[in-house]
Amino acid sequence: MSGDPTTRDTSQSTALSHLTRSPAGILLTLLTLICAAIWFFPIYWAIITSLRSDQATVQEFGMLPTEPTLSGYIFAIVNSELPIWYLNSTIVSVSVTVLVVFMSACTGFAISQLRFPGRMVLWWTILTSFMVPITALIVNHFIIIAGVKLLNTHIGMILPMLLSPVTVIVYKQFFDGLPKEFREAAVMDGATELQVFLRVFLPMNWGVTTALAIITFIGAWNSFLWPFLVAQDEKMMTVTVGVSAVQDAYGVAYGRVLAGAVLASLPVALAYLFFQRRVTQAITLSAGIKG
Amino acid sequence: MASVELSQLTKRFGGLEVISGLNLSVEDGSFCALLGPSGCGKSTLLRMVAGLETVTSGTVRIGDRDVTSTEPKSRGVAMVFQSYALYPHLTVAENIAFSLSLAGVSKAKKTEHVARVAAMLRLEPLLERKPAQLSGGQRQRVAIGRALVRDPSVFLFDEPLSNLDALLRVQMRLELAKLHNDLKTTMIYVTHDQVEAMTLADKIVVLDKGVISQAGSPWELYNRPANRFVAGFIGSPGMNFLKGQARHTGDGVSVTLQGGITLTLPPRAVAAFTGERSVEIGIRPEHVTLASGSDAQISGKASVVEYLGNTSFAYVDTAQGSIIVQADGATRINAGDTVGLALTTAEAHIFDDTGQAWPHL
Ligand SMILES: Nc1ncnc2c1ncn2[C@@H]1O[C@H](COP(=O)(O)OP(=O)(O)OP(=O)(O)O)[C@@H](O)[C@H]1O
Ligand SMILES: [Mg+2]
Repeated sequence: MSGDPTTRDTSQSTALSHLTRSPAGILLTLLTLICAAIWFFPIYWAIITSLRSDQATVQEFGMLPTEPTLSGYIFAIVNSELPIWYLNSTIVSVSVTVLVVFMSACTGFAISQLRFPGRMVLWWTILTSFMVPITALIVNHFIIIAGVKLLNTHIGMILPMLLSPVTVIVYKQFFDGLPKEFREAAVMDGATELQVFLRVFLPMNWGVTTALAIITFIGAWNSFLWPFLVAQDEKMMTVTVGVSAVQDAYGVAYGRVLAGAVLASLPVALAYLFFQRRVTQAITLSAGIKG
Repeated sequence: MASVELSQLTKRFGGLEVISGLNLSVEDGSFCALLGPSGCGKSTLLRMVAGLETVTSGTVRIGDRDVTSTEPKSRGVAMVFQSYALYPHLTVAENIAFSLSLAGVSKAKKTEHVARVAAMLRLEPLLERKPAQLSGGQRQRVAIGRALVRDPSVFLFDEPLSNLDALLRVQMRLELAKLHNDLKTTMIYVTHDQVEAMTLADKIVVLDKGVISQAGSPWELYNRPANRFVAGFIGSPGMNFLKGQARHTGDGVSVTLQGGITLTLPPRAVAAFTGERSVEIGIRPEHVTLASGSDAQISGKASVVEYLGNTSFAYVDTAQGSIIVQADGATRINAGDTVGLALTTAEAHIFDDTGQAWPHL
């Protein structure tokens, strides 16, 4: 992770050389660098602390651990339910991602391309539901899920997380923007609505789908409040919930706690690293709507 | 192969009537061009034949079937779009075979059909490319191939060449003519380029605001326009129109133009009338010649001269209005010259005040 800022520097060196030509540019560059450093410091501190022994955490204040150790990591993996939390997080995030993307694509396609009674009502309902913060509904969700006896289950955790008006809106907007000739050409070629959707509209631009899938995945993996409420049994916890819930159990063993935290955010960090461009694209796509 | 019959076809978008009670028959195996200014309803008409647009009233028959409410894929028609609409995620071969794979045709059969079409359109070297890796002309050929593979009984083209540059357009025009010759399939071709219509079509249908202004052979449209709209639309540069007063004389019609110049034209098939009628004379640039002395019927000053090598066009301002003259390339005219003009009145057309032509006898 500590290699991250250097790679960024090289990838942006051309942009930097433009900026550093004028005094204002230099000032701006300095400011951004300072902000980046301030932003990055806690992450860096978490990583080096996770590599220190418990004793060292209270004695050392240097920028590098003198005797790096993986004992915190080993402890977090061996002495907690971390592997099971990982599994839970994976099941929940993957299911949420697949379902949200597929359902949103279908809904977006239907609203954008099909003419059926109630279409506009559906569209306005989705737009309005977008205005309601999910957190405001969390008590209702809890009562409903408890009522249908799904607390402490994967399904109970997944269901409310499937509410994702933004993805529907992005898909609808995307399908709206496609020239109608594609659809007409496919219809002339003998395609049914389902074939237009599955064989032309979706594969025409996987970029949108990948981008939406990645941000949905990151969002699902990082979600905390709802999984925290639903998972009552330690074996049902996701990584985010588990790591924070057992802090107390560890006492002030910062190394172990932070090792857990680093492990918890690792998949998201990796997803972000690998799909950086897609994530930016997805944010731009949904920002156009939020703006 | 099949003929296409449209009867009393009407299309309304909300309150806007785009096609009004249109009757048209396109013979089996013929090439019919729909020509008209932008927004006159050409695409709408074509799309109703394709089944992409519902019909407000009237019927569409293809061959001996009434297809007014038949699904597009069951009409036996194929369409080539102006924007080509090639599927960007599929290769050329997959694009061509798309309709076949939807129909569940076996892989071997698909390959065979693609090979046949590719050979016809010289697409063999391109089969594995994606549309983004093709030039405009190649995309156009793929779009035609995609239509061809379905063995349609009617081909529909919506301005297929308008995205190509001038040179390629001429080349593709020839290829289309050749294709029609080889296939002898009925083709309906929308264009607003009259040269395309004149060169390709057996029959040209000129549309004006949703009604047929005139339908006929290229020769008829050029030489016997039924009204002022068609007369002005066909031909480039356009026909000259001169206002005047017409009266019957013993052996024809005499028309007095503004400025007191009187022309005598051969008799027309028009009901006899007494006195004078307001008319417009229409005469093409090639039927106006430069003249001097007593041959000159009208005189004026050349304002612009376009020299095209084999020919040149002079825009002459006269007391009767602006007149375009086609002079042969060898004659030197300069802007600002005062010139005399002679009109070949036998070739002139007369339009009444509603714009209808007085038919030639
Ligand atoms: N879906 C629609 N809803 C409402 N009006 C439409 C629709 N489609 C076409 N029109 C209108 O119908 C008229 C004819 O359109 P059409 O596309 O057939 O013209 P066109 O002759 O093909 O023109 P162009 O040469 O520009 O392609 C236009 O006034 C257009 O605005
Ligand atoms: Mg059109």
